[in-house]
Formats: sequence, C-alpha cells, structure tokens
Amino acid sequence: MNVLLFASLILYFAASVLQFLAVAAKKELLHRIARWVMAAGFLSHTAFTVWRGFAAGRLPLANQFEFASAFAWAVTLMGFLLYRKLGQEGVLTIAMPAAFLILSYAAFQPREIKELMPALRSVWFGLHIGSAAFSYAAFAIAGGLGVGYLMKFRKVADQQDPGLKQMDYLAYRMICLGFLLLTVVIFSGAIWAEQAWSSWWSWDPKETWALITWIFYAIYLHQRLRLKWQGKRMAVLAIVALVLVLFTFAGVNLLLPGLHSYASNG
Amino acid sequence: MKKVFSFMRSMRFGMILLILVMACSLIGSLIPQGEPAMRYVRAYGAGNANLLLAVGFTDIFHTWYFIGLEVLLCLNLILCSILRFPSAMRHMETLKKQAKAKEEMDFCLAPGEAERIREHLLRMHFHKQDSLYTKNGTGAYGSFLVHLSILMVLLFGSLALLTPQVKDQTVMPESSLTLEDGTVIECLSFHIEDGDGRLDYASVLRITSPDGRTTREQEIRVNEPMTFGGYKIYQQTYGTAGRLTARNLADGTEDTFTLTEPCFLSIDSKNGIYYNALYPGYVEEEDGSYTLITSTALGYGNPVYSIESITDGSAVSVLAFPGETMQIGDITFTFKDPVEYPGLRIKHVSLVLYGFLYFSFGLMVAALYLTFFRAPVCVRVEEDGYCIVSGKSQEGLEIALQTLISKQNEPGGTL
Ligand code: HEM
Repeated sequence: MNVLLFASLILYFAASVLQFLAVAAKKELLHRIARWVMAAGFLSHTAFTVWRGFAAGRLPLANQFEFASAFAWAVTLMGFLLYRKLGQEGVLTIAMPAAFLILSYAAFQPREIKELMPALRSVWFGLHIGSAAFSYAAFAIAGGLGVGYLMKFRKVADQQDPGLKQMDYLAYRMICLGFLLLTVVIFSGAIWAEQAWSSWWSWDPKETWALITWIFYAIYLHQRLRLKWQGKRMAVLAIVALVLVLFTFAGVNLLLPGLHSYASNG
Repeated sequence: MKKVFSFMRSMRFGMILLILVMACSLIGSLIPQGEPAMRYVRAYGAGNANLLLAVGFTDIFHTWYFIGLEVLLCLNLILCSILRFPSAMRHMETLKKQAKAKEEMDFCLAPGEAERIREHLLRMHFHKQDSLYTKNGTGAYGSFLVHLSILMVLLFGSLALLTPQVKDQTVMPESSLTLEDGTVIECLSFHIEDGDGRLDYASVLRITSPDGRTTREQEIRVNEPMTFGGYKIYQQTYGTAGRLTARNLADGTEDTFTLTEPCFLSIDSKNGIYYNALYPGYVEEEDGSYTLITSTALGYGNPVYSIESITDGSAVSVLAFPGETMQIGDITFTFKDPVEYPGLRIKHVSLVLYGFLYFSFGLMVAALYLTFFRAPVCVRVEEDGYCIVSGKSQEGLEIALQTLISKQNEPGGTL
C-alpha cells in the first residue's frame, strides 16, 4: 500500500512543477492539468490514509509520520476548498509545493504501524491531533501567502494592488482559522493531559512551543485588528510565525524531547 | 500617575507582556527545568550553572517574575478590555451612526443595482432598518469575551495547577490503603494486558468513603481515572513484586510476603533468607550456569529471585525460581509467581474548579469564533451607492458584493 503514498508524492511533485510552469507561461491549460494531477495525488493520498486507518484499527494520527501525512493532506484539502470558493490560482500555487514538501518529510519518518500506547487511547486524541493538522495547514497556507506577497510586492511595489490586497486578506483569514484551531488543540491537549497524567499543563517543550506559537499569532492579530497593520509587515510576521509552527511541529521532537516524545519514534 | 494607568491599560503594554511571556517560555523550553543543581554544573560548567540558578532560569515558570508577569497580564486584561464592556454594548449603534453620517458612499451603483444588493443582503440574513442593513450584533462581544475567558483560564488554571494535593502510592492486589481522611482504596485486581494481549494497564478498585456508607467499584486505566468524593484516582505506573510463603515447621504457622525491596526474613535473626532482587528472566548456559536478564522491557517471562540463604549468620548467594522450596532451620520458604501491582496517583482537587476551567476553555473557543467569523457589520444602501462599516476587515463582503454587481453586468450574467 506504500505505493499509494509514493504515487501521491510523485503526483504532488508533478503538480507543483506544472503549476510553476503554468504561472511562468501564463497558460490556463497547464493550470488545469496541474489541478487534475494534484487531485489525483489527493485521491491516492486519501486512499492511503483510509487504508492505514483500517490497517491500524484507529485514526492514523499517532506518530510523526502519520501526523505529517495528515498535515500534508489538510494543506491539499484546504487548497482545493479555497480555490473552489475564491477561484484564485495563487492558493494552489502555494498548497501544491507545500503538500509535496510536508509529505516528503513524512516519507522520511519511520512508517511501521504500531499499536497505540495506552496513554494515546482517548476520545481527545482525534480532536487534539486532527485540529492540529488543520491548524498547521491553515498557518502553512498563510505563511505561503506571505512569501507570495513579498515576491509579488517586489514586482508591483504597490500595497493597494488588488491582487496583493487579496493575498494579504486571505493570509489574515487563514490565520484567524488556524488560531481558532490552535486554541482547540491546546485546550483539548490540556483536558487530555489531565485525564492521562493528572495535570492539565506541565510545561513540556511541545506544550511550551504551542503556547509560544499561540502568543505570536495573538500579537499578529492585535497588530492587525487594532492597529490595522497590513501588507508587507503582516506578510513578514506570517512567515516568522510559520517558522515557529514548523519548529513546534518537527524541531521540538528532534531537539527538545519531553512528554510528547512518543511522537518522534515511529 | 495618570500616565502609568493609561500605559497599564494599553495594548502596547499587553503586547510587551506577551513578548516577555514568550521569552520566558523560550528559556524554559531550552534549559531543562527543575533538575538537581549538579546536572546543570555538569552540563554548563560551575560558573554558568550558578548564574542560571541565581536568575531562576532552571525553574523559570515558578519564579516571582514569571508569576508577576501573569498578574500584570490579568491586570492589563481587566483594565483594558473587561472594563470596556459598555463600549461593546454600544458597538452596533456606533457602526450605524458612522454609516448614517457618511456623506459619500464608498461604492457607486448604477440604477437598479441597489435593489440587487438589498436582496442579496436579506438573503444573507442581514436585518433591515431603513437604508441600513446590519448583521452579527452578538459578535460585538467577541473580543470582550476572548479577553474575559483568557483571564478566567489564567485564574482557574493557576489555581488548578497550584492547589491539588497529589500523592503517588502503590497498592498490592487484594490489599488496601487508607487515606488521611479515612477514605479506603482497595485494589481488587490489576492486569497489564487485556484479553487480546494488548497493553492495557487496568486496576479494579473499590473505594469506600470515610463514614463507610458509600462504596464504589470501578476499573481504572490510563486515560480513564475515577472520581470519588473529591478525589481523582489515576492508573499511573505499575511494578512487579516477588512473593514467597514462609512456613514454620515447629508450630505449623504460615505467612505470605510480598517482596518489593531488599529485606531479611528470619525468626531468630541468625537463620533465614535475605532477599536482594527479582530479575525478569535468565538464560541457561551450556555449563549449567545462569545469565540474568535485567531489562524489564519484555516483562517477567522467566522470573528468578536473587537471595542469600543465611545459616547461623553465614550467607551464601543463590538463585531461586518460582515453585522452589528451601528449608533453613525450622522454616521452609516457598517462592511463588511474582505479582504485578499498580502505582496509583491520588489527586485531591476541587472538581468544581476543573469545571470552571473547562468552561473557560469552551468560552474562549466560542468567543474566538464570534470575534473572527461573526464580526458586526453595517451596510448602508442608497440608490446611487453603498458603504460597508465595520470594526474589522470586511474584504470578504466587499468582494462578494462587487462580484455580484460585476457578474450581473456581464452579458448574459445571472445571480
Ligand atoms: C493573550 C493575552 C491577551 C492580551 C494581554 C490582550 C490584550 C489586549 C489589549 C490590551 C487590547 C487593547 C484594548 C484597548 O485598546 O482598549 C486588546 C485588544 C483586542 N484584543 Fe486582545 N489580548 C489578548 C488576547 C487576545 C486574543 C487571543 C484575541 C483574539 C483574537 C484578542 C483580540 C483582541 C481584539 C479583537 C482587540 C480589539 C478590541 C476592540 O477593538 O474592541 N486578544 N487586547
């Protein structure tokens, strides 16, 4: 069944290349092909995830590989949903390579299916990790839009350009969504930790980094909501915030082991 | 004084505090917390370790300045936003006033287009009042409720972290322990694997209240603690203990012992056995000797007791296996299969406090939803144009209305 995983990886890669070519050549046909290739990748990724869930007899979200794969899946799904709603190619130009990179990271993690350790068998497990995947996906798209914004800004150099304004606004909306979900992640984790270990918060590195990320986004939102910051500054903040998210996602497991270290070994 | 007060209630102060909390968290995640001082000396050298210890970086989340930051955050939240509740109540009225006061509309409309906008707004569940269309009145309380719930999480959360009395206790199957207030916890049984051989640490407990009137029997496992009379009892750890039966041949009396730590079992202090340890397994070598396995990772498949048999004060080290009987003087010692026992965590905490904490969690999620996705908005539609007034960005609505008009104006376009 790993063939499905590698098929998705190749299809995501092909879609990313086609999309970049389409942007460079401004060819709608190429865009359309890229979308179909991406959709095929998404289908095979979904099939792989469903298969893995059945094979493991639980939600496939239990270790770093499964979580990273879910993160990539959420990026693709969100990319398609946003594209459907807004009709903007830019979202897919970000989602395609992002999904490819995250899934590549996943592919390098140990993949064997292990029995869920008792501490993870909880009703909060699905909510906590599922919302984390979608929260990170929203932040990834926002960060990607930040990069896109800065690249486009170098060419256009006008904050009032409608394309730029749309990117800016969309990144902000994705951060609103991601922030709401990150709050759910932290609270469901707290309730779960109290059930499993008796204390709702223990300052383990993963928790602490989730809090750091949360505070950073809270600052972003205040600058936006109250001080009406927009444009370049917000794009830079969204990118820095994404770096924090990625550190919380992968860096903490590698560099700062704690209670959550189960996530780093298969 | 006035200046200090206005700084204390400013958002800038709030953001500075948040940055400081972030900085402390960063330090707390990079430097291992709460370790013995020697560890820091070994890791960072004596000079650095002393510095880290002196400034509290080795236990930063309990330092006076970190707690001070939390107190200031609470103060800032109260001053800045909780006290602004009345302005949240007036928010929609303010928006309406602003919309009415506009002399020029932000977007122009051709004849007939205003009607389409109005229809669209009604379809989107806007409320109509003359030329004003409003939506999401309750959203005005969003940021107030977000700040209130953050305050509640900080208060109830700190109380929940600081107040519980937590005690870790082991209890042998078929035995009981009595807590200070007289509550009795009896462990009826304990198992490590479920029927299918999956790891599943579970204890069946029977708890009796101090007055003996209420009793409850329940199985607890990791993630499924039980609550009883203000206590929460968790399946925390487990251990394996040796067991042996000693029989006095002289008078026929018999006693069974559970061996968790090294101990000397004797009647006359000169003859008996000294129990050292229980090993999980062994490998028998070709020459008949045994190599002991010390790792407990695979369980106690072939348990073996390491003991010293002591006769008239002189000791001989021997290994004993379950089922084996040894006679020393007038006493026989029969080694039995080891037993597994649970380590329980017993937490005495106010469940009401946890109720409030979890309510604050729910409130914050709902409040964030209100803030982000239910921002109050007022649209004024006149025949020749319209404007959108809101405290938050409304690009989404702007785009929707503009698209509506441009689509309609396309040849053959429909709504
Ligand atoms: C984490 C701790 C937080 C602190 C210390 C804090 C502090 C503040 C302060 C001091 C203000 C300025 C109030 C004023 O100017 O009168 C403010 C405004 C605001 N905050 Fe927060 N805040 C926090 C979290 C949040 C979060 C998580 C959100 C969610 C989005 C949020 C949303 C807002 C909004 C929307 C405003 C503008 C309020 C308005 O215009 O009425 N805050 N905050």
